[in-house]
Amino acid sequence: MFSRILIANRGEIALRIVRACRSMGITSVVAYSEADRESRAVQLADEAICVGPAESRRSYLSAPSILSAAIVAGCEAIHPGYGFLSEDDTFAEMTRAHGLTFIGPSPEVLERFASKAGTRTLLAKHGLPTIPGSGMLRDDAHGMAEADKIGYPVLIKPSAGGGGKGMRMVRSPRELQQAMTICRSEALAAFGDDSLYLEKWLEDNRHVEVQVMVDRFGNGVHVGERDCSVQRRHQKLLEEAPSPALNAEQRAALLDAAIKAVVAAGYENVGTLEFLLDRQGNWYFIEINCRIQVEHPVTEMISGLDIVAEQIRIAAGEPLSVKQSDIELKGHAIEFRINAEDVAHDFRPAAGRIETYLAPGGPGVRMDSHLYSGYDVPPYYDSLLGKLIVWGPDRATAIARSRAALDELVVDGVVTNVPLHRALLANEAFLNGEFTTNLLDRVGSAAFMAAADAAA
Amino acid sequence: MTGSNETRTDERATIARLTDEVVPTLIERLTRSDLGEIEVRQDGWRVRLRRGSGDVVAAAGHATGQTQHHKPAAVAHAADAQPRREPVRGQVSSPAVGYFTPRDGVAVGGRLRKGDLIGVVDMLGVRQDVISPIDGVLKQIEVESGQAVEFGQAIGRVEGNV
Repeated sequence: MFSRILIANRGEIALRIVRACRSMGITSVVAYSEADRESRAVQLADEAICVGPAESRRSYLSAPSILSAAIVAGCEAIHPGYGFLSEDDTFAEMTRAHGLTFIGPSPEVLERFASKAGTRTLLAKHGLPTIPGSGMLRDDAHGMAEADKIGYPVLIKPSAGGGGKGMRMVRSPRELQQAMTICRSEALAAFGDDSLYLEKWLEDNRHVEVQVMVDRFGNGVHVGERDCSVQRRHQKLLEEAPSPALNAEQRAALLDAAIKAVVAAGYENVGTLEFLLDRQGNWYFIEINCRIQVEHPVTEMISGLDIVAEQIRIAAGEPLSVKQSDIELKGHAIEFRINAEDVAHDFRPAAGRIETYLAPGGPGVRMDSHLYSGYDVPPYYDSLLGKLIVWGPDRATAIARSRAALDELVVDGVVTNVPLHRALLANEAFLNGEFTTNLLDRVGSAAFMAAADAAA
Repeated sequence: MTGSNETRTDERATIARLTDEVVPTLIERLTRSDLGEIEVRQDGWRVRLRRGSGDVVAAAGHATGQTQHHKPAAVAHAADAQPRREPVRGQVSSPAVGYFTPRDGVAVGGRLRKGDLIGVVDMLGVRQDVISPIDGVLKQIEVESGQAVEFGQAIGRVEGNV
C-alpha cells in the first residue's frame, strides 16, 4: 500500500480523497492552485503544495506541475479525482514513466476506452446493446448521410467530451447542418478535439449507470445502478439509487451484462457504465467513465462500501476487498448537487464569500462539501459547492428526510440551486419515479419552479 | 459597512457578468479568429485570454521551451479577471514547483536589474527562470541550492533604490 498520495484536485472531491487517505493511514498531500490556498482540503490535508496560478491550465491541468509536485513531495501515487487530468491517458503514462502510480486505470486501459465510438464497438462485441449511431464524422456531408440512416432526431456528441458538454439534439437536416459547425468549435474549445459523432435520440429516456470495480486480477463486481435522469441541459442535478424505473428482473439483467462485458473487455479500476433506458425498459450502453464519479456517494450509502478506498487498493495492486456475494444493497439514497447557480437567471454561476454555512444532519444524512463560513468561492472553477446525500430504508423515507435536510442546509452569501431541489421534491413526475432526462428542459426551469410553488 | 457590502455586491455582479457573459464571448471569438490573445479592460477589471498550445507566456519567470500541456486556453477560466494579490515588493518568487538552483555568481549584496536571472527551478527537467522583479540589491536568499520549492514560494528579496 502507498504511504503518501498526491491529490491533484480541488473542492469537495479533494476533501473526499483526503478523508479516504486518513482512514487508510496514508499521508495526503494536496496539490493546489493559488486560488485555493484557503481551501478546506488544503487545511485538512497532512501536507499541501502550491502547483500554479488560479488558471487551471497552469495548475490542475498542468501535467508537469502536478508530477513535479508529486516528486518534490515524495509521493508514490497521484489521485486525480474527477475532471482535470483524471481520464488523460498521456498523463497516466507520464506518471508511470516517472515511477509513480496513477490512481485509476492503467494508461493502456485508458487508451483502450478513450474513444467513445471505439468503446461502444468494443462493449457491443461483449454483449451490451448500443444506441444506433455513427462512427466518427469525417465531414458535414458524412454527418448528413449518417443522420439520414439513423433517423431524426439525432444527438451530436463530441468524441472527446464528458459531462454533457458540447452535446446538441437536432430534429432536422437543416438544424444538423448549423449545429455541426457550432459543436465542432465548442468541442475544440473545450476539449482540444473537434471530432463528433451522432447518436439516435431517444425521446423520454432515462439515464441509468452501473458502478463497477475491477482489480488487476480480473475480479470484477458491480455495486448496483444509479439513476441520473434529473438533468438540465445534460448536466446531472440529482442522482438516486436504486433506479425507480427498473424492476428486479430488468435490474439483474442490466447489472449482470454490464459487469460481464466490462471484465471481458479488460477494464481495470473503478468505473461507471452509462446507459439510456427507453420507455419500454430497453437499455442501451452509451459510454464508460474511467474515474471516480461525482455521484459515487449514492452507491456508498446503499452498499456501505468506500469506493475511493477500493480505488486506491486496486491501484496499489491489491485485490478487491469484496466479492459480489458480499455486496448487499440496502434502502434508497438520493444525492443533491448543491451548485452556486442562480436558477432564476438561467443558472448563472456565482462566486463570492460564504457568510454562513451550516450542514444538515440526522439519520442517513451525509454532506460532502468543502464550504465553511468565511470561505471565498473562487470564480475560476466549476460551480459545485457540495453534495447532500440522504439515505432512507425506502424511497419515500429518503425523500422525506431530504426535504428536512434541504431545509436545514444554510449557505448564505452565494446564491445556490437549493430552490430547484425543493421544487423537484414537490414534483409529481419525480415523486412517482417517472422523471426523464429532458423533462426539465422541456418544461423550462422557471415554469417548473412556478408549478412547484403553486402546488405547495 | 454598507459601503463595503455594496462594493462586494458590485464585485459579485461583475464576477458573475465576467464568467457568464464576457469570458464565453471572448472564448468564442478567440476560437474563431486567428488571434493569439484577446484582452478587454473595463471599470478596473481586465480579462485576457491567450491561445494555449505551444505558447510561450511573456509574463516574467517563464522560460521558453517549457513543456506545455496541449489543451487550448479557451477552457481557461477568467484567469486575469481578478486583480492579482500583489507579492511583497522586491520578493523573488518561484515560477514553478521543483528544485531551486542559484545562478553562479549570484550573491547577497549584488546589484540586479529587473529581469536579471537569479537562478532556475527545475520542473521535471525543464528549467524555469527565477528573475529579479525590480532593480536593486539582492538582500536575501531564503532557499538553498537543491531545495524543493512550490509555486509562488519566496526565494529571496531584492531591495529597490528608494
